[in-house]
Amino acid sequence: MLRYTVRRLLQIIPVLFVIITATFFMVRFVPGGPFTAEKAIPPEILKNLEAHYGLDQPLWRQYLNYLRSIAHGDLGPSFKYSNRTVNEIIGDKLPVSLELGALSLVVALVVGLTLGVLAAVRRNSWLDYLASSIGMLGICVPTFVLGPLLVLYFAIHLGWVNASGWYTWQDRVLPVLTLGFVYAAYVMRLTRGGMLEVLNQDYIRTARAKGASETRIVLKHALRGGLLPVVSFLGPAIAGILTGSFVIETIFQIPGLGREFVNSAFNRDYTLVLGTVILYASLIVVLNLAADIAQVWLNPKLKFE
Amino acid sequence: MNGRVNHQKHRKGRIGLIFLCFSCFLWPSLSSCSKRDNATPNSQVLRLSQRNEPATLDPQLATLPDEFFVIRALSEGLLAPAPGGGAPLPAAAASWSASPDGLVYTFLLRPEARWSNGDPVTAGDFVYSVHRILSPALAAPKAALFFRLKNAAAFYRGQERDFARVGVHALDDHRLEFTLEQPMPDFPALVASGPWIPVHPATIGQHGRIDQRDTPWTWPGNYAGNGPFTLAAWRPNQEITVTRNPAYHGAAQVPLQQVRFVAFDNRDSEERAFRAGQVDVTMDVPFTKLATYRTAQPPVLHTVPLHETRYLALNVTRVPLNDARVRRALTLALDRTALVEKVLLGGQRPALTFIPPGLGGYQAPAPPAGDLAEARRLLAEAGFPGGAGFPRLELDTWVNSPVLEAIQQMWREQLGLEVTIAQREARIHLAALAAGDYALGLVPAIPDYDSPADLFERFTSGHPANYPHWANAGYDHLVAAAGRLDAGADRNAAYQLAEKVLLADAPVIPLYFNTQNFLVRPSVQGWQGDALWTRFYQNIHLDEK
Repeated sequence: MLRYTVRRLLQIIPVLFVIITATFFMVRFVPGGPFTAEKAIPPEILKNLEAHYGLDQPLWRQYLNYLRSIAHGDLGPSFKYSNRTVNEIIGDKLPVSLELGALSLVVALVVGLTLGVLAAVRRNSWLDYLASSIGMLGICVPTFVLGPLLVLYFAIHLGWVNASGWYTWQDRVLPVLTLGFVYAAYVMRLTRGGMLEVLNQDYIRTARAKGASETRIVLKHALRGGLLPVVSFLGPAIAGILTGSFVIETIFQIPGLGREFVNSAFNRDYTLVLGTVILYASLIVVLNLAADIAQVWLNPKLKFE
Repeated sequence: MNGRVNHQKHRKGRIGLIFLCFSCFLWPSLSSCSKRDNATPNSQVLRLSQRNEPATLDPQLATLPDEFFVIRALSEGLLAPAPGGGAPLPAAAASWSASPDGLVYTFLLRPEARWSNGDPVTAGDFVYSVHRILSPALAAPKAALFFRLKNAAAFYRGQERDFARVGVHALDDHRLEFTLEQPMPDFPALVASGPWIPVHPATIGQHGRIDQRDTPWTWPGNYAGNGPFTLAAWRPNQEITVTRNPAYHGAAQVPLQQVRFVAFDNRDSEERAFRAGQVDVTMDVPFTKLATYRTAQPPVLHTVPLHETRYLALNVTRVPLNDARVRRALTLALDRTALVEKVLLGGQRPALTFIPPGLGGYQAPAPPAGDLAEARRLLAEAGFPGGAGFPRLELDTWVNSPVLEAIQQMWREQLGLEVTIAQREARIHLAALAAGDYALGLVPAIPDYDSPADLFERFTSGHPANYPHWANAGYDHLVAAAGRLDAGADRNAAYQLAEKVLLADAPVIPLYFNTQNFLVRPSVQGWQGDALWTRFYQNIHLDEK
């Protein structure tokens, strides 16, 4: 297992290298630069700005300089925020996105697993139809519809929580529910599918024949196997929750990394685009690896190869 | 992994372990939840919606009105724009005078003016500030606003090494003298613009060199300003908080205790927060809700006319737009009143001329005569009778506006022309305009200061913001001559001549003069809207009745 993990970790290096190179050149070839403004800046001033950020050098030299600086862990200065570095911005914003993502994940797992198990156990009952309908709704209703609806009712109509912001724990409730609900729907459907498959297995019949109680069968024997699809889903899902929180962050004005990521592209903040891409790419690769390892670990039919 | 029993035990532990990992992942986030009072409206705490996260709070590096919303709370220049237009008001300077030849301006500073750290505000601070913004290595985007000073442009370009020869001098601690290259009657309006707000030399020096861009002097704790408030907190993309500055010369007259600039990326989130009671003043109103607010809550909805012209730039280097007759036909075929009254519905005013009414006291000439029949005749003369043979042009925009569809339809119905609307990302659009890589483009024009000069100069030959790439020597000459005249009837007449040339040759099609529609809670008293996006915080107070 150690060899497998090390080998997979080493594979990350060329993957990241390709991503960095492609992003570096793609973002440079997009028309418009970091200093493009409604009233165009006079050429003599633009020249000084470009000189300050090293944009006057040939592209290949800028690329080599960038590679050298990230090799030292320095993601460079932000082009838009004149006295902040990309490292500072990520250090400031990532914890917020992590918090939003982690809390949403808890909602997704608690709601999704419960509904999924209940739906599978009471298959074709009203409970199953209810859970499946909720699951279908969660997948169909986009966050930018669900979020404002929740705000309308709980913040504006009832006045229980704020419509936006990220100050108190109450401010976490609506964004976490909105983001968590979508993933809960996927978790619910995967759990239900996984459980149904396992519940038809011979070993479950054996357990029943030996007189095990239904609770014991579901929680002890079936759940372990039924969770496998959820575990393999969790790796990409966590990455998705973290990288895809832009919409939620915008609806609820959460100062997270998702907004910085998208806005950096609009601002042509080259270094911030690259910094966030590197971070997100690493997260996705590492979390996928973690999901693979967890799956092999849980399922004796699979082997590290 | 030997034995079945062991195997099962292991796996049971594994599920637990995986969930333990997730909880570890959660722990730091849960512990970071902090309690903070957000909703209770304090008596004199004003909560404003802030649209764009400031790139900087350095008045000499900032470029956007949104950045100056905060900067004007923290610092003030020699003069401040007057709410509602007109001659600028004294701010850090108590009074000023101009020499008879209009070349030398002397400002008398308030002796009681202090920086937020208690240091007196001196004429030397202003000299230092001009030196700083003219330092090439600082690469201040608005440095060109200082090129009217004698030798300033030469100093910026490195042709003049000695800053002492630039036209700014401290006569003593409280008297500051500016010498201009040539007379500029609008100089006080220029001085009242944002980039002329000074910086505190000792603070700049403490955190870096005079021409260093990336120092942390603008962070809370470091910031020294001479304005009514001081910087208390700056949480990027979340909130900027400023509190009353006791060292400010007018502190006794400032009712507000605190101003909170709460970040909102879009008008929908902002409007929801307004309804939930989280902000007192918004930046905007969602288009779909304008009519509702107008009928249901008229006192809350504020409409302020802006000195902003939305126009179509016509790329005169392209066939058939290189033909003035075609350009005239395109502009004559538009019904601007319909655009404003049937499409925009936000209180905008139709633009038959280019310069916003009242900008720097300017009165526009009568719009050039012409009607639809004239438009069709001109188009036929240019070789496209009834629009036959006219190439399909692309109308570029960065924003999805129903106005463009209305224009598309007017040209189709009145002239038989087809245009395609292409929406591009903002910077791609702006880069295409600057490079001349477009045919027709929607552009907003917002002047840097309260004078028509800035907008007229944009269409002089070779100007970087001359998006039509139009060159007309007669126009250049008229604009240069008018800029030297004293504000008054003569200058107005001179600018009118220039505007007539611009409208007759039609490298631009003015569409409408924009407005700002926004929401203000009734408890906010003394809010003054401004056509140039200036903010005035001194007179605002909250009345919680």
